[in-house]
Amino acid sequence: MGCPECQGAVATALRTDGTRVVTVGNPNTGKTTLINALAGSNLKVGNWPGTTVDRLEAQLRLPGGTVRLVDLPGAYSLNPTTPEEALAARELLAHPPDVVVNVVDAGNLERNLHLTLELAELGLPMVVALNLMDEAEAKGYTLDPAALERALGVPVVPLVASRGRGTDELLAALERARVPELRLRYPGELDRAAVRLAERIRHPAGRWIALALLAGEEVPIELDGELLELARQLRGELERVGIDPYLEIENARYVRAHELAQDALLGSEPRLTLTDRVDRWVLHPLLGGPIFLLGMLLAFRFTFLFSTPWVDFIGAVQEVLAGWIAALPLPPLVASFFADGLVGGVGTVISFAPVLFFLYVALAFLETSGFLARAAFIADKMMLLAGLPGRAFIPLILGFGCNVPAVYSTRILTGRFDRLRVGLAIPFMSCSARLVVFTLFAAVFFPRHAAWVVFGLYLLGMVVGLLTAWLLGRAAGQPASSGLMELPPYRLPTMQVVLKQAWARTRSFLEGAGGPILLAVLFVWLLLNLPPGDLEGSLYARVAGWLAPLFAPLGIGDWRLLGALIPGFVAKEVVVGTLAVSYLGAEPTAALGLAQGLGQILATFWASLLTTLGAVPALFGLPQLAPPPPDAPTALQAALRASVAPAAALAYMVYVLLYTPCVATVTALKNEFGRFWAAVAVVYELILAWVLAWGVYRLALLWLGG
Amino acid sequence: MRRLSDLPEDTPARIRALRTPPLLRRRLLALGVRPGAEVRVVRRAPLGDPMEIAVGDTLIAIRHAEAAGVELEE
Repeated sequence: MGCPECQGAVATALRTDGTRVVTVGNPNTGKTTLINALAGSNLKVGNWPGTTVDRLEAQLRLPGGTVRLVDLPGAYSLNPTTPEEALAARELLAHPPDVVVNVVDAGNLERNLHLTLELAELGLPMVVALNLMDEAEAKGYTLDPAALERALGVPVVPLVASRGRGTDELLAALERARVPELRLRYPGELDRAAVRLAERIRHPAGRWIALALLAGEEVPIELDGELLELARQLRGELERVGIDPYLEIENARYVRAHELAQDALLGSEPRLTLTDRVDRWVLHPLLGGPIFLLGMLLAFRFTFLFSTPWVDFIGAVQEVLAGWIAALPLPPLVASFFADGLVGGVGTVISFAPVLFFLYVALAFLETSGFLARAAFIADKMMLLAGLPGRAFIPLILGFGCNVPAVYSTRILTGRFDRLRVGLAIPFMSCSARLVVFTLFAAVFFPRHAAWVVFGLYLLGMVVGLLTAWLLGRAAGQPASSGLMELPPYRLPTMQVVLKQAWARTRSFLEGAGGPILLAVLFVWLLLNLPPGDLEGSLYARVAGWLAPLFAPLGIGDWRLLGALIPGFVAKEVVVGTLAVSYLGAEPTAALGLAQGLGQILATFWASLLTTLGAVPALFGLPQLAPPPPDAPTALQAALRASVAPAAALAYMVYVLLYTPCVATVTALKNEFGRFWAAVAVVYELILAWVLAWGVYRLALLWLGG
Repeated sequence: MRRLSDLPEDTPARIRALRTPPLLRRRLLALGVRPGAEVRVVRRAPLGDPMEIAVGDTLIAIRHAEAAGVELEE
């Protein structure tokens, strides 16, 4: 089906500024690498509006004018099975671009061409970027791009995007983009029904829409009721004569894709690929498990070894700022507002940045290298116990580091419901901030079994989280989620894109969660400091007093312990600091001179830089298995020992483990799953924490005595 | 009836039909697991489940229970 008008339209479109070009392709076809190679430093990474799906975009200056290039999320088909695929389909249909660049994996032609055939039905000017030619060659395939070009009737450009080969040719081919001439025929009755339906659809993608409707699909654009009724009727007629439209359509596309792939294949001598060789070890029956654990450990250590010095640096800057404020002639309350409220709040927000950034880098590495899919493959059977897919392992593991990126990483799961279930389970994974509380209490009350107590708490959190996910799946009556996924070839990620993506995600978190975190810190400051004077007479003490009857059944009556739970909502590690202040009184901030403070900042910056560089060898060193020694003052330990019994201390730890996620995690949950589910998470966890802490307290009473 | 879940490793077979719930069938079709395609079991996971299959040039992880719905030609 020629479309001379459309072709003419492209030729002029490319000569006008603002032509919109989108890249579309299967997942793992090197689309990201390609857009990076085309855009270079012009690449912009962000989110699709209203979603957390990454959006890559660039302005390209071409001889014919400026072109806006947008990368659509990877899709196997335009009949979506994931939110990302739905987004890609909606973009193509609702905002048809001027040119479609279909990125095809040359080493996996047949499956990739299935999407190409779907795209061909959209009636849009197209160019095929035959990427990963080097991998195809390594597999032993010799391809003939010209044959494919003849069959499809659109330019086909061979590329190795990772080495920048073929990118100039691709840009030049944009001018020659045309609506594919190839028209796929479906079995008689089906094709006739499609033609009849397509006639009624005023949209360039009429044929694709008609087929989707016949297959019983939802189409992401507005269609009138009469048309939908006709589609239902036609589908019914087809089904009555024994035709399954969905299967027939898929089949016809695959048969044709197979023919096209065969015609484009000049020769094939199958060879063992890198992926085959690596998988022999990584998925080895005996070595697979240990390699998997080692890989996870490495990713985890990378994140924390690299981010800790910078979190410490931010803390040091905060101290210096507080020192400067103390040197100003301000009333104590005002000075405290600036130092503890504002500087403390902004510092809390910013100190998330290093952890998030390095976790995102680690995650991107795991994902694009192909290791993540293998990890999911190995962990799948364990996750199946909770009715979850193997991939759920990754967010849950990340949760032990920091719940916030863990919540965002749920998007590696394909199903929306799976994402939600894992998202609600994550806050139970004991993050490193809670470890600070546990080590303090365990050292005070169970000095000889501290490691076991902490380990037990981690285990409890994990069990509660997995049970939550399992119960939610049961309650919704959903079948166990699917373990189906592609195991993509091993590849080196493009560093530039990884860093840009990590930074974009970190920034988007800071923008979204910065406000709520700051507000929470200021709120806690108000509680602590109003009315001015003694802490015991503050609002904070009063609120803690109100909580006392509620916590009496857990054996915790001390207002100082209860009060510390409130700032724990801001960040769990603050619990220890607040306890120290309420038991021992605040240490006055020493005033700092300008030069002195600057010197301190520079010194810590240098130290952080050195520690980061030093972390490279430490990455491969032996991990520290013992929990770090608690750095809390021993005076606090003595005060704690005097104020609660061991059983109640255990209940307190359980409560801190399970009660409300911190404000940053709540914001992350809200961003991913909406206000409703974020609220559900808070309420559910507050109740559950109380119930389990009570249970642990009663058991501990039997065991340890009052 | 031969099922993919019972197929020994490295024994190519042809798929006859997908007797699976609709959503799983869509996902299978999207990955190229379709009637008429040749399939081979590459390996089983260290814990026995899932298994890795090859369809064309695509490597796919699939659970035993899911593979039981993939019917093979005799």
